[in-house]
Amino acid sequence: MNIQKSSHNNSLTFSISGRIDTSTSPKLEQELKNSINDCTELTFDFAQVEYISSAGLRVLLSAQKTMNKQGSMKLKNVHENIMEIFEVTGFTDILNIE
Amino acid sequence: MVKKFGLKFGGLQQKILNLVLVFLIALIAIFAGIWFYQATTLNAVVGDVNSEQQDAIEKVSHNTMHQIIDNSMTKTNALQAYIADDMFSDVKTDVATLQSLAAGLFEHMDSIEPYPFSLPDPAKEGEFSAQVLFEDGVDYTESKYLGVAAHMSDTMIAMCKQSEYLDNCFIGLADGTHLCVDNQPSNKYDENGVLSPFSVRERPWYIGAVNAGKLWFSAVETDTYTGKIGVECSAPVYKDGKLVAVVGVDLFLNSMSDYVNSASSQGGYISVINNEGKVIFAPEDNGIFTVELSDNARDMRADENKALADFINKALTEQTGLVSVNVNGKEYYMTSSPINTVGWAVISFIEKDITEQPAQIMMSEYDRINDDATQKFSESMKKLNQAMLVIIAVLLVLGITAALFVAGRIVKPIEYMTKRIDELSGTDIAFEMNDFYRTGDEIEVLAQAFATLSKRTIHYIEQITRITAEKERIGAELELATRIQADMLPNIFPAFPEREEFDIYATMTPAKEVGGDFYDFFLIDDNHLGLVMADVSGKGVPAALFMMMSKILVNNFAMMGESPAKVLEQTNTQICKNNDEEMFVTVWFGVLDIETGKVTAANAGHEYPMIKKANGEFEILKDKHGFVVGGMEGMRYKEYEFTLEKGGTLFLYTDGVAEANNAKNEFFGKDRMLAALNAEPQADPKTLLENMKKSVDEFVGNAPQFDDLTMLGVKLL
Repeated sequence: MNIQKSSHNNSLTFSISGRIDTSTSPKLEQELKNSINDCTELTFDFAQVEYISSAGLRVLLSAQKTMNKQGSMKLKNVHENIMEIFEVTGFTDILNIE
Repeated sequence: MVKKFGLKFGGLQQKILNLVLVFLIALIAIFAGIWFYQATTLNAVVGDVNSEQQDAIEKVSHNTMHQIIDNSMTKTNALQAYIADDMFSDVKTDVATLQSLAAGLFEHMDSIEPYPFSLPDPAKEGEFSAQVLFEDGVDYTESKYLGVAAHMSDTMIAMCKQSEYLDNCFIGLADGTHLCVDNQPSNKYDENGVLSPFSVRERPWYIGAVNAGKLWFSAVETDTYTGKIGVECSAPVYKDGKLVAVVGVDLFLNSMSDYVNSASSQGGYISVINNEGKVIFAPEDNGIFTVELSDNARDMRADENKALADFINKALTEQTGLVSVNVNGKEYYMTSSPINTVGWAVISFIEKDITEQPAQIMMSEYDRINDDATQKFSESMKKLNQAMLVIIAVLLVLGITAALFVAGRIVKPIEYMTKRIDELSGTDIAFEMNDFYRTGDEIEVLAQAFATLSKRTIHYIEQITRITAEKERIGAELELATRIQADMLPNIFPAFPEREEFDIYATMTPAKEVGGDFYDFFLIDDNHLGLVMADVSGKGVPAALFMMMSKILVNNFAMMGESPAKVLEQTNTQICKNNDEEMFVTVWFGVLDIETGKVTAANAGHEYPMIKKANGEFEILKDKHGFVVGGMEGMRYKEYEFTLEKGGTLFLYTDGVAEANNAKNEFFGKDRMLAALNAEPQADPKTLLENMKKSVDEFVGNAPQFDDLTMLGVKLL
C-alpha cells in the first residue's frame, strides 16, 4: 500500500493505492493520526485501492468518528468491488461516498 | 595441517620458516655466486699473472744472459785472440830477427872469424847457454857454419831472457849440426851421461820451414826434451839461394794453456784452432774439441757437423758474433776471434743450458715460490671456502632456529587460544583475556576481540534464552488461547444427535493462531435454532477477546428470546460502551423455526448467506444489511425473513472464504464458492464444507492466507 498526501489549508487528501488489509492498515492509521488534528475536510481518493479488509474498515470508521467531531470526511473514486464491501458491511450508511 | 617431528606443516610456523628459508637460500645463492665469481676471477688473475711473470722473467733473463754472454764472451775471446796474436807477433818478430841475423852472418861468413861454441854443460843447468848438438855421424868440429852461427849465441841468450814466452831458441844448420839456447843443458844427456844425438834435419820445424820456404808455425808438438805441448816457429835461412840453416823457437804456451784450462771453471771453454782447422788448445772433456798431436789431429773445418764446420771456417777468417751451434744434441753459444799472425782462431763456447742455468734456477725458484704462493693461496681459498660453508651452515641453522622460535612465539598463543576456544565450546564459560595473549601485536587484539565477542555472545545467548523462553511462554499461552477459543465454539458433531429434523455442521480454520471469526448455533427452545456467523475486525489476541465478548453477548441476548434485530442492537450498545479500540464485528444472526423452516435474520455488515431450495442449487441471498456491530452507537438493524425448505440448505461464511487469494492475488470469489457448493448441492453440510475447503485449498495453492476460513451449513431434513 502507498499513501500520497496533499493538503490545502485545512483540507487534506489521502490518495491510497494497493491493498488496505491487516498488515497495511496500521500504517494508514498512523498517517491519519499524525495529519488530521487541524483538518476540517478529509478526502480519501480510492481510485487505486484494490481491496479493503475489516482492519481497513476499522481505520475508516475511526477517521469518520474523528472527523464527525471536527469537520467532514468523504471518499471518492470508489471501485465497484470496494463499494460492494462497503455495502455488505453497512459502511455505506455511515460514510460519505461520492 | 599435518603434524610431524613436533612441527605443524602447512601452519603459520612452517610458512614463516619457508619465508625465512627462501630468503636465506636466495641470500646464500647470491653470496655464493659472487664468491664463486670472485674466487674464479682471482684464480684466473693469479694464474695469468704467474704465467705472464714467468714469460717475462724467461724472456728478460734469456735476453740478459744472451747480452751478457755476447758482451763478455765475445769481448773476452777477442781480447784473448788479441793477446795471442800479440804473442805470436812477438815470436814471429823474434824468429824473423834471428832469420835476418843469421842471413846476414852467412852472407858475410867468409870474412867472419868463427865464434867459440861448446857442447851442453850440465853445470850450467838453470841458466841460459848456447849448446851444440849434432846428428848421429856428424862431426860438429868440421862444420864451417857452426862458428858463424855461434855469433848469434849472446843474442839468442838475451832474447830468451827478455821474452816472456820463449824458453828456448835455436838454429839448425843444413850440415846436421845444431845450436840451441835454453836453461836445461842436462836433459841433452841420456841416463848414462852420453850426449844424445839430435836429428836436426828430421825435426818437423826444420822440414816445415824448408817446405814453406818462409816463416812457419808448427802444429802442436811435444817438446823433445821437456815433454811439454807447444808449437814451434821456424824460418829458413838461405845463402846465395841455398838453404844453410833454419832458425826457430819453441813456444810453450803455458799462459795460454792455463787460461784455456782456467776458463772452463766458469762453465765456459776456450779452444784454439790453427789455420788447418786442427785443435791446438782445448780444455779436457769440453764435449767438442779434442787436442790431438798433429799427425792424428782432425780438420775441424770438415767436421761432419755442418753447422760446426761452417762456424770453424768462418772463425778462421773473421771475428764472429755470438752464434748458437748444436753439437751432439746440445746447444752451445760460440764466438770466435782470429789470431791473424798465425791464421788461427780463438773460440769461446759455452753450453747454452749452463748460461740459462741462472735463469732456470731463478725460474724454478720463482716457480717454487710461486707454487708455494699458489698453494698457500689455494689453501687459503679452501679454508675460506670451508669457512664459508661453515658460515652458511651456521647461518641456515641459526635462521631456521630463529624462524622456528619466532614462528613458535607467534603461533603458540594462537594455538593456545584455539585450544582454549575448543575447550570452551559447548560450555557457557566465556573466553577470557590472559597475560599469555598479551603479545602487543595483532594476536593480543585478536584475543581481546575474542574475549569481547565471547562475553557478548554469552550475553546475547542469555538474552536470546530469555526472549525465547518468553516467546515460548507466549506461544504456549496463545496455543492455549486458541484451544479455549476453539472450545468456545460448538465443535462436537453431530451437535444435536437427538434431532432428526436438521443437520448442522461448521468449521473454523484460523489463519493465525488466534482468529477473529466465529460461528455459533444453539437451541433457543425446542423449535428455534439460533445461528451466528461473525467476523471481528483485526486479528490476534485482541480480535479473539473481542470475539469472545461478542459471542457471549449475542448468545445471551438471543437466549433471552429477543428478535434478531434486537439482539444485534443490544449487543452493539454493550460493545460500544467500552470500545476505545474502535473494534467492530460483522454479525449475521438468524433464528430458524425448525418446524416451518422460517428464518428470521438480521445482518450487521456481514456477507450474504447462500441458500439452496429443496431441489435447486445454491444462490446468494441478497439480504438487507445494517452497519457493523460496535462501530457506531445506537445503530438500528432491520430484520428480514425467508424460508428454508425441507431438503434445502443454508450456507453461512466469513469473507475469508470469498477473499481467499491465490499466488496471482486473485480472490476465490462468490462464483467459485457457488460452483464448489453446487458440485454436490444435495450433500450433507459436512460434505459441502469439505468440498468448499478442498476447492479453496486447490485454488490458493501455496499462497499465504491472511484471513480465517469459517463456514457453517445447516440442512433441513
